[in-house]
Amino acid sequence: MLKKLAVVVSIVGIVQAGFFLTGAQAQMGSAGQDEVAPQPIADPFEPFNQAMLSFNLKLDEYILHPVASGYAAILPLEARQGVGRFFHNINIAPRLGNKLLQMKLVGAGKEVGRFVINTTLGGLGFFDVADSWFGLEAGHADFGQTLAQYGISPGPYLVLPFFGPSTVRDAVGLSVDGAMQPMNYLLPTYPETITARGGWVMGNAVNFRSLNLELFENVDRFSVDLYGAVQDGYLQQRERIVQDALSEQ
Amino acid sequence: MQLPRLLFLLTLGGLTLFFLPIRGLTTDSPLEAVRSTTNRVVLVLKAPENQGPHLREKRIKQVSEIVRPLFDRREVARRTLGVYWRDRTEEQREEFIEIFTELIEKSYGETFDKQAEKYLDQVEFLYDQETIDGNFAEVNTRIFVPSQKKHFSINYRLHQVDGQWLIYDVVVENISMVRNFRTQFYRIIGKGSYEELVRKLQAKLRQMDATRSPS
Repeated sequence: MLKKLAVVVSIVGIVQAGFFLTGAQAQMGSAGQDEVAPQPIADPFEPFNQAMLSFNLKLDEYILHPVASGYAAILPLEARQGVGRFFHNINIAPRLGNKLLQMKLVGAGKEVGRFVINTTLGGLGFFDVADSWFGLEAGHADFGQTLAQYGISPGPYLVLPFFGPSTVRDAVGLSVDGAMQPMNYLLPTYPETITARGGWVMGNAVNFRSLNLELFENVDRFSVDLYGAVQDGYLQQRERIVQDALSEQ
Repeated sequence: MQLPRLLFLLTLGGLTLFFLPIRGLTTDSPLEAVRSTTNRVVLVLKAPENQGPHLREKRIKQVSEIVRPLFDRREVARRTLGVYWRDRTEEQREEFIEIFTELIEKSYGETFDKQAEKYLDQVEFLYDQETIDGNFAEVNTRIFVPSQKKHFSINYRLHQVDGQWLIYDVVVENISMVRNFRTQFYRIIGKGSYEELVRKLQAKLRQMDATRSPS
């Protein structure tokens, strides 16, 4: 089943899942007044999105969570955190590419520095010594952000199978980020390698889920309308990430 | 697959909304008010006489007592209802404030206590800065988890009422909880009616009473 899923994921053609938004740091906002929004946002794809949200939740409930639980029982927390850092390190290409496209030369330099340091001294990225020894903190950049910087609006909300909440712009961004993965071009396109690539994505997903097993187990409890809660949560976070990109030097 | 992370953050956000650690001492700056009230809540949770799962109800009650009178429930309700607040009668508004507050306390109280029991000793509260703009203020704080080297940003939005700073929104990792609830409520009202929303909130409350865990 997993293998099948992995192939499907590959066929979708998006390799990079872009989980690692964790580089976001605390923001010092100005005194906010959060003016009352006039109307609900337009959501032309809602029926599709609803179906995809249900699909993703089932996928999580029946596959991702059980697999991640088993995996967490085998591998200690420190090791799984190391695996998370490894995935982050190896996925440098889209981050670097987007920093360059956004003309963030300092950020791009940081990415290269982090990659070189962590790949060598950090044992292929299992340890983030670039941060702990050299103070080079992990960053974030994606193509959705880049498009936003060039004035492309997010378009309607769109929930993708496997990848979760997105917008039309960010979905395009996700596939371009996937296309920026050198592995897609270096490896031949045999069914085995497609499976391996899918497995890679699933590995990343399982590891991430294993690091966040319990807190959202009762999420139904905390929302009156789960669809709206997830939709708004995603859009608010993306607005901030885009804003960060615009304000970064 | 950003869904798990988002759900996690939404949970965290809600927990903080319950937590709303603010005491509007008139002499306190907004940041000091947040800091001192957080400390008071932590003291209650750590008190030797309050330990053990059998005292959960007592702890939740004590934390609620610190918290409840100290945030602007009406303003939170007004902002979550948004444009639909205007059309409500005063009676409806009062009813909504009661239901919404009860929902927040019931849904987050128990989970908050369980999480605090588990993680309170492992986290540090960092108070970064406050920004005051007339009668509005924002306090930027972070919860730092040393074992994971992770920060979660928690920003409190306050306004001044009769010389007291009161919270009307909590922004967790850039997600405003008021806006998040407003999106949910707009969807329900937009597709149904205000009455439908109230029915849903009441049903949620009943469901929570029915599934309340014994410990």
